[in-house]
Amino acid sequence: MSTTNTLRRFLEQAWLPFALLALWWVLSSGSTNFYFPPLSVIWETFLDELLTGRMLRNIGASMRNITAGLFIGVLAGVFIGVAIGRSRNLRAVLDPYLQFLRAMPQVALIPIIIGAFGITALPKIWAIAFACVWPVLLNTIDGIRAIDTGTRDMVRSYRINRRLELFKVMLPAALPQIMAGIRVSLSVAVVVMVVSEIWGATEGLGFFINQSGAQFQVAATWAGTLVVGLIGYLLSLIFLFIEHRSLHWYHNSAQQ
Amino acid sequence: MEKTVTQEFETRDSVSKPHTRLDVIELGKTYVTNGEEHEIFRGLDFAVEPGQVVCIVGPSGVGKTTLLRCLSGLLEATTGHVSIGGKPLTEPVPEMAVVFQDYSRSLMPWMRTRENVAFPLESKGVPKEERRRVAEEALTAVGLAGAGKKYPWQLSGGMQQRAAIARALAYNADVLLMDEPFASVDAQTRFDLEDLVLDLRSRLGISVVLVTHDIDEAIYLADRVVVLSGKPASIVDIVDIHLGRDRDQLTTKAQPEFVEARARVLRQIRRNADEVDAS
Repeated sequence: MSTTNTLRRFLEQAWLPFALLALWWVLSSGSTNFYFPPLSVIWETFLDELLTGRMLRNIGASMRNITAGLFIGVLAGVFIGVAIGRSRNLRAVLDPYLQFLRAMPQVALIPIIIGAFGITALPKIWAIAFACVWPVLLNTIDGIRAIDTGTRDMVRSYRINRRLELFKVMLPAALPQIMAGIRVSLSVAVVVMVVSEIWGATEGLGFFINQSGAQFQVAATWAGTLVVGLIGYLLSLIFLFIEHRSLHWYHNSAQQ
Repeated sequence: MEKTVTQEFETRDSVSKPHTRLDVIELGKTYVTNGEEHEIFRGLDFAVEPGQVVCIVGPSGVGKTTLLRCLSGLLEATTGHVSIGGKPLTEPVPEMAVVFQDYSRSLMPWMRTRENVAFPLESKGVPKEERRRVAEEALTAVGLAGAGKKYPWQLSGGMQQRAAIARALAYNADVLLMDEPFASVDAQTRFDLEDLVLDLRSRLGISVVLVTHDIDEAIYLADRVVVLSGKPASIVDIVDIHLGRDRDQLTTKAQPEFVEARARVLRQIRRNADEVDAS
């Protein structure tokens, strides 16, 4: 029963994008505009690029950067966030700096990071990680702060040790907010991934888009752009799956 | 940890198990907010004998919860001290377990009921199998056999508070501290939970300190009622209740001793409230 439901829900949501693609395909079929080639041409270019291996190499590089960057950023955000969230003194001292760093557009740092650390993959990973840290960090701080006194009293009166307090009380309690932070980081990560590959890069989807654009291979540029969109969509699907599983208690208890 | 809880549940009586007594000596608490002092209570003196149920009763806002937090070691008193088994209390100790008023916050919604009950044992380093068995036995003792695999939010309010009591039992404390434990359940559930407390006391021989604003509840449960009133609060009366160990919601509350004790407590609270108003 639940599988038919899932299938139905999938079909309900999936018909529109497919319909739009079909519409695009038909409407663009006779296009002679240089910047808006027919979708069929974009598709053929994509297959060509896939066959030469160029596309796959660039997708691979981008995926490596974004996964590593997200992983480092989220992990750092959660652990620094827990430390700051637990300490009132640390919060008071660090708050202005956190607000400043959060307000700074992360993309603006990319030229500096790449200028200072070179054009290899590592500075790009750092740039993604640095951008992803903030939403997670600030949400984790809020999540930890919001743990109420009733819960803290329980932890103290039953002499719960530090390790269990962290992993079985604080992190689960803050998880709804942490997840909301990760969701924001996800879209930031895609932006920083592409932009970091435009400056001084030799691989990645941003590099591919930039290079094909500079060489007036418009169909290839389109193909690259669409792949970036697809990666963003794929990441959010994976995220929703993880969120659904790890926060089932949160969604279900809210319904009770 | 060799004995099973059931064995322990059955053999625990005043002969085989050395019980822990709780003494409250000249206890006072003053908060300082913005340089202004607020004295909550002063000079509180009473004892909880092993196996006794002591109810602390008083009007809302008199500082009952603050007192219970001091008794549990969660809050430091300003003057005087609390001693448990003859040792001064400075932080929460394994001899005492707390049942909080707000069960929805003290039970973790991401853990199954069984895991919630076993959580303090996990922290003590009790092996998984053992924890699970002790938790199931504690759940059975409060009438929640079979509910262990459910999440707390799948249980009714009364059942959640039973689960919180089961957690305190699994912790194997000698003294149960309860802060308005039945304030947010309906009347029938409340009666059932009151009888559960009496039942556990007579089966396990644990002592109970229960804070409530409900005079009937205090007298029905207590061997001794400590009446708090005034501002700052002090003990205006200590009433020993001689209603025996077997009590019943219908007959006990109709007994002359019950009615008499009720009138006495109410008069004390009122008189002191009037004095505060007059001053």
